[in-house]
Amino acid sequence: MAETEEAVRCTAVTKEFGTGGTVRALDAVDLTLRAGEFFSLLGPSGSGKTTLLRLIAGFERPTRGRIELAGRDVTALAPHRRDVHTVFQDYALFPHMTVEQNVAYALTVRGVRKPERTARAREALATVRLDGFAARRPDALSGGQRQRVALARALVDRPAVLLLDEPLGALDLRLRQEMQTELKELQRTTGITFLLVTHDQEEALTMSDRVAVVSDGRIEQTGPPLEVYERPATAFVAGFVGTTNLLRGEAAVRVVGRPGAYSIRPERIRLADPADAPPLDGERTVTGRIADIVHAGAHTRFTIALPHGDRLTVHRQNLAELPPTARPEAEIRLVWDEKDAFPVPG
Amino acid sequence: MRRAGAGGGAGGARLRLAALLGPPLLWLTLAYLGSLAVLLLSAFWTTDSFTSDVVRTWNTDNIQELLTTPVYRTIALRTLAIAVAVTLLDALLALPMAFCMARVASPRWRRPLLVAVLTPLWASYLVKAYAWRVMLSEDGVVNSLLSPLGLHGPGYGTPAVVLVLAYLWLPYMILPVYAALERLPERTLEASADLGAGTWRTLRSVVLPAVRPALFAGSVFTFSLSLGDYITVQIVGGKTQLLGNAIASQVTLDLPMAAALSAVPVVLIVCYLAAVRRAGALDAL
Amino acid sequence: MRKRTTSAWRSAAAVCALLLTAAGCGSDDDGKAAHAPGKLGKGEGKVNIIAWAGYAEDGSNDPQADWVHPFEKKTGCKVDTKTAGTSDEMVSLMKTGQYDTVSASGDATLRLIASGDAAPVNTKLVPNYKDIFPALKQQPFNSKDGRMYGIPHGRGANLLMYRTDKVKPAPDSWRAVFDDAAAHNGRVTAYDSPIYIADAALYLMRAKPSLGIKNPYALDKKQLDAAVTLLKKQHKAIGEYWSDYQKEITAFKGGDSVIGTTWQVIANLTQAEKAPVKAVLPKEGATGWSDTWMVSAKAEHPNCAYKWLDWIVSPKVNAQVAEYFGEAPANRKACAETSDPNHCAVFHADDEKYFQRVHFWTTPIKQCLDGRKNTTCTDYAQWTRAWTEVKG
Repeated sequence: MAETEEAVRCTAVTKEFGTGGTVRALDAVDLTLRAGEFFSLLGPSGSGKTTLLRLIAGFERPTRGRIELAGRDVTALAPHRRDVHTVFQDYALFPHMTVEQNVAYALTVRGVRKPERTARAREALATVRLDGFAARRPDALSGGQRQRVALARALVDRPAVLLLDEPLGALDLRLRQEMQTELKELQRTTGITFLLVTHDQEEALTMSDRVAVVSDGRIEQTGPPLEVYERPATAFVAGFVGTTNLLRGEAAVRVVGRPGAYSIRPERIRLADPADAPPLDGERTVTGRIADIVHAGAHTRFTIALPHGDRLTVHRQNLAELPPTARPEAEIRLVWDEKDAFPVPG
Repeated sequence: MRRAGAGGGAGGARLRLAALLGPPLLWLTLAYLGSLAVLLLSAFWTTDSFTSDVVRTWNTDNIQELLTTPVYRTIALRTLAIAVAVTLLDALLALPMAFCMARVASPRWRRPLLVAVLTPLWASYLVKAYAWRVMLSEDGVVNSLLSPLGLHGPGYGTPAVVLVLAYLWLPYMILPVYAALERLPERTLEASADLGAGTWRTLRSVVLPAVRPALFAGSVFTFSLSLGDYITVQIVGGKTQLLGNAIASQVTLDLPMAAALSAVPVVLIVCYLAAVRRAGALDAL
Repeated sequence: MRKRTTSAWRSAAAVCALLLTAAGCGSDDDGKAAHAPGKLGKGEGKVNIIAWAGYAEDGSNDPQADWVHPFEKKTGCKVDTKTAGTSDEMVSLMKTGQYDTVSASGDATLRLIASGDAAPVNTKLVPNYKDIFPALKQQPFNSKDGRMYGIPHGRGANLLMYRTDKVKPAPDSWRAVFDDAAAHNGRVTAYDSPIYIADAALYLMRAKPSLGIKNPYALDKKQLDAAVTLLKKQHKAIGEYWSDYQKEITAFKGGDSVIGTTWQVIANLTQAEKAPVKAVLPKEGATGWSDTWMVSAKAEHPNCAYKWLDWIVSPKVNAQVAEYFGEAPANRKACAETSDPNHCAVFHADDEKYFQRVHFWTTPIKQCLDGRKNTTCTDYAQWTRAWTEVKG
């Protein structure tokens, strides 16, 4: 059954670098990718997410642990023996080959005959909308075009898993958003398992079926984007995925009214006039002073200074004009649903 | 006014550039191309057979003799074959050596290895050639190492010439290949493996094309240096005679004939450069 | 090392000659008008010499053999020596005009006189000239129109050297390196110069009388072809040719060469290196040399050059050189100065009969040197090409 089929399974994978394992890049990581899903590894640079991708591709061997592809142990297998292709951050196209030769490389290596090779390479180029570029050299292409050649090259022989290492990092914003849509579309039409490594939480959240948040060589949380965003399992996830107001200890007691650690998303906090009606049942309110206002296009970011030095960030959708009272130094009341202050462990 | 002023500025810059480049260009043209032209021109002169003084009478006897005497053809072909053999041998040796230096050795070791490869260049050419003469001698190291295996060294002769020339010019081949391999991104090799290519396939389809311009660049050195050499062959060549020897023995007695003879390696090298250029390998230089 | 510098000079000479001829200011005419000086001035403090190996020893090869330092001490002329391996090298070095004096053999002297590179010598300025064997004065190879173009230095024969442990029985004929060369296939050596053709011709004088060779330097086309054929046959057995004496020493020492032509000085040096070699004068006689110290027409240091000429043929020094190099001295008083009292007898210093068997190197020219009028002989340029062909 497609649902239960596993594309990748990492079991207690540890990777250490340096003599005597001085640097531990991955610490007993467990990860399972279902066949046909779009999975993202999200984390800051240096978190170990690229190392994990390189272990799956076979460029590195784990210090301990086991890696399976479609149920087969590949821990000790060389990269060229694995049914996995990679799209590199810098694309790593072969500079001395034409676009078509680049794309057909996996087929050439496998000894596919020329007519078929050409046909399939052209087909792959068509899927990334690069018809007519077959005879060019990579250095005659733009960044976005190279990106697509790299994609076509990795997809041409339909690998079981496609690994994408920060593939959109070098592109400008517009092109990046365009490619995000295209990638998602490609994944849906081909049905190939995609593993995307990114530090861009928006990218991970918009494209993936499931996300794993990586920090310091460990997986903090795995789950669908909404769940990770709405219900961060750890303080790190809460802080890294989206922006949040993290309150703990004394501050939690003062602001949330309970001891513990809590996260309140800035867009869940409402701005209200201090003179307005008192909060409803199940709502919590505090008053403070507007310390800073930043206009960020679709929304406005307020920094509110509370008594005792606490600060909260509030996002307000720019649906209507700001009330005249919303000026720096003005007194303001903040209101939120008590359910939106949810506890986070750690 | 303003435009005229700007134009004058540009003209001044051009003038300065001309003044800067003029003398070296003049020197290059006169001393380098000029002497080459004189050399080729003197091939059409003749000598007084007794005093060996050059007699400036225009004739094509030397060229005719060069083309019709079988021995010159033999020597030219032998020289060409040796130059090609040296180049191939150097390419074969330089590839794995440079690969180990650039990609296998840890970065910490790269510099010492590079220095080790370059060090022989600091030693005198003659010292190295004579060292080989001693090693290849009948009771030399090579024979005493090979004799337990029932083998015998090459002795002095054409194989020894190829061997020693290949040794002498090897750094000139290793250096560009090493540079090319070092420039080759690790990602490119990984991409090849990732797409299903084994080690040999990657070497053939990715590494070799990437170092091909460097191999050609190195071969320009090994080929032309071998074509012109006549010292090594005197030291370890036994009775082998190359173009350089024929030229050297004629220089004293028959300068025009020597000039005609030296046109042969010049022509060979020009042909080689043209071939290499056609292969697109000089673009990278 | 020596070889390399020589070659560098050779190329430098070639370039100079090219540039000079190209510029149309060939200096070859200057020399022909050169005159011998009437009297000598003060020494210039320096003299540049081209010499055969062993002719200008400063003790660096053998501490006992040093007649350069005493000369420098006595005259204040600092000596700079360039060792040449062949007469051709000497001719080309002289053409550079950077040398003051040269120990030229008979195959170089006439070329240097004809090209004007050598100047006539005023023998009155060389006091020791009076003691030179009369048989060496006013010879065709060192004089022209009754004027001496140099001071005779000494003479000797090219010998046959062999490894006593590898060549048995001991050879007494040049046959060993010609018709019987195959016995030592790949271990035969020969002198790398066109003039070596004369060695083959000398052998053919006896081995093939029908060719009618009277003088190994006077070969008509047919005789030259016969010599070339013989040399090509020899080529098959040759291990290597030599012109650098160091090279021959190492070859015999290492066993790469076991038999071939040599000079006495090389045999001495090889024996000094503890190699079992012996040098003999074969029964056919031999080619040989009679050397003359000549002064360059463009000499920068003529006074020191004359001082050197007088020094090198002075009885004591002439005896030293003759013993070290293994040749007959030119100064008859030298015979009283040799450490081996029999040296002059052994090397036949005044034995003109003996030297009739030795054919001194001389430059082959179109007019047959043996007096034949009905045919033209082959000149040195043809010999040079023939030599290139022999080596193939």
